[in-house]
Amino acid sequence: MKLYLTAIVTIAIVLAVAFAADGPRPSASRQPELPQQGGLPINVQTGLFFLKIDSVQENENTFRATVDLRLRWKDSSAPATSDTAITGFQDFIGDAAKAKLGEVWVPDVEFSNMEGEPTYATQVLRVFKDGRVEFRKRVTGTFSSEFSPDNFPFDHQKLRVKLVVRGEDAKRVALDFRQEDLDFSHVSSEVEVSGWDLGLVDIHRESERGLFGEYHSGLSVELETIRQINTSLAPIFIPLFASLLIPLMAIYLNKVEDGDFQIDAFELCNIVIGGLFAVIALNFTVNSTYQSLGGTDNPVTRLFSLNYLGLGIALAIIICMFHFNMVKRMCGKYVQEQLYVYMIWAGPLLLLATAVAILLAAAA
Amino acid sequence: MKFTRDAAVILIIAVLIVVSGLTYLSTQMFRGLTEEVEQEQFSLMETILNTSLRDGENRALAQAELMANLPDIRKIFATRDRAALLAECQPSFILQKEKYGVDQMQFHVPPATSFLRLHSPDKFGDDLSVFRPMVRLVNTDNVSRKGLVVARSGPAIFGVAAIKDLTGTHTGSVDVGLNFGPVLDALKASYKIDLALFISEEPLRKFATDLPGDVITEQNRRGKYIKFHSTHWDRLKELVMESDLAKLNETRYTRTVRGVTYGVVLVPLLDPAGEPLGVFAAVKDFSASRAAAGKSLVWQSLLALFAIVILAGAILVVIRGFLLRPLEVLTERFEEMVDGKEARPIEGDFCVEMQKFADNYERLRLFQSEQQNSATPPVASPSPAPEALRAEEKK
Repeated sequence: MKLYLTAIVTIAIVLAVAFAADGPRPSASRQPELPQQGGLPINVQTGLFFLKIDSVQENENTFRATVDLRLRWKDSSAPATSDTAITGFQDFIGDAAKAKLGEVWVPDVEFSNMEGEPTYATQVLRVFKDGRVEFRKRVTGTFSSEFSPDNFPFDHQKLRVKLVVRGEDAKRVALDFRQEDLDFSHVSSEVEVSGWDLGLVDIHRESERGLFGEYHSGLSVELETIRQINTSLAPIFIPLFASLLIPLMAIYLNKVEDGDFQIDAFELCNIVIGGLFAVIALNFTVNSTYQSLGGTDNPVTRLFSLNYLGLGIALAIIICMFHFNMVKRMCGKYVQEQLYVYMIWAGPLLLLATAVAILLAAAA
Repeated sequence: MKFTRDAAVILIIAVLIVVSGLTYLSTQMFRGLTEEVEQEQFSLMETILNTSLRDGENRALAQAELMANLPDIRKIFATRDRAALLAECQPSFILQKEKYGVDQMQFHVPPATSFLRLHSPDKFGDDLSVFRPMVRLVNTDNVSRKGLVVARSGPAIFGVAAIKDLTGTHTGSVDVGLNFGPVLDALKASYKIDLALFISEEPLRKFATDLPGDVITEQNRRGKYIKFHSTHWDRLKELVMESDLAKLNETRYTRTVRGVTYGVVLVPLLDPAGEPLGVFAAVKDFSASRAAAGKSLVWQSLLALFAIVILAGAILVVIRGFLLRPLEVLTERFEEMVDGKEARPIEGDFCVEMQKFADNYERLRLFQSEQQNSATPPVASPSPAPEALRAEEKK
């Protein structure tokens, strides 16, 4: 008796291990079987249409959009009814779709970068007579998407919708795309996003590592967006360029007569200190409005650095040259006089050239 | 020559020439490096494309040879039993078509007559020798072949293998045609290269009579070519123009669309007879290398400007501050002395060489001052005013 029991338990363990290693991954609610008659993996052709883009929240690294997901695959076991005889397919919408989803296998494709729950979702299932199945899902939600401001304001960003297959690894279900899926994957011509021009949609294959080291197939659908430069020109770059004049003014306002400076360094220091507070205030304003710009290396932070550097150099010049007359002491008053004359034109030239170079490098 | 102006100008021009020259050479070197990198990218794209096509041909031929050597198929084909052959091969063909991009599979009897098309079983008996010379050749010399061909169902990568019956007698051939689509899609997935296949419209219209209606359309036309397959047509149609394909003079070029620079490689396709069949276009994003080159140019130009301005400043400050300005002051003082005005003392620091002049001026000034203090003012003949003396000198 013990021998029999041991044998039964052993067989049960072997079977359990075998199923766990090679069988389908446990799925919470899916009843229909994976249509693996044609072998594995099941290639699910995927497309995504951007129906509406409500907003792009750069500060939060998100955008809010309504997208249509289209999944197509072959399932010869999908039950086709007599209705397909006329049109070649049958649509299941709303409750009918929900009911049909209990009978037909549908890949569990998740919007992996969606934040929270969708505010709107509807789905349609289309079963073709020849065994093709098409599943469409319209979803409104907020998607996280990284914005890189490295080349601000000449930057191109990508609004990404990431899709990943849950429940089945990439060896069993793979998301794929063809030209017809790219044709489907575009943005509606009626969509306009304030501050951005919209470009083409592209799809890239990705994979996500699972709990057991397996990989889940995924796709990244990316809508190219190009920033409109004029929207950032007035609020950011005009003040930034204007504030560059402050240290120049502090130097320029002095006067030299027969090698000696005429204006008290204290007054000029006040200009620089006032300028420093102005730049700090501007920096704070820009960082609070465009949070993504703070803390990264981009033209705006570089221009702020240039402002601070300009103010620092101006302060050093005022103290060392105007107040302590260090150049005069070391090289004489005529050298000091000529150095000042030189600084009057060279300072603005170099400072503005650097500022322009920062912008040109971003535009390159 | 005026030293005040010319000395500084000459030195600054020298600095300008040297720094500009060095910057130009440096940017040219970097541009050369960027071009080299881009040429490497072009070569890599061509290699990837050609290797994939060769792999596709090998795969097609391997499958054809496998079919040609299966005993059951050899036996059934020898008996010319079309129905049995279809029953034997169709399941595997459907699977191959769905999963591995095998688009066409056909048996032929010598010299080149279609016996069974697994992708279109109802169509058989037609002579293929005109547009499928490869089939005729295989049935002539029993040597397997591979290549790109426009067949009745459209262009594909073909492998053709001779079939012998079980006694070793040549009975015909079988070909396997791979769809270009999966090959190009796999390349896009692996290398992020967008690709398009353009086929000459003439052979397409002439031979590919079973093509779907949506292939030869105005939207797909690029001059004498028709876009047969692409991995991202919206992008490619802006990068590969009719003029680019017309003469194929330039098979490697770059083009900028919406601020992004792409590298484009055109690879002409020839059929096994060496006749032009079409063109492959491969497109890769070159914006990273272009941005690096652009940034480098901007920063190098800025550095050059800094070098020129700083060196010019050094020249101006040294020449004017140490030499010309003190000289100007000394000249001014001497002029005042000569003019008979009250000689003023010289203040300020001079360089050692100039200090001698300043000291001499001071000695002269003091001497003059002493003379003026000790001398009795003449009554009969007063000394003429400096202006009058100068006027006399001029006369």
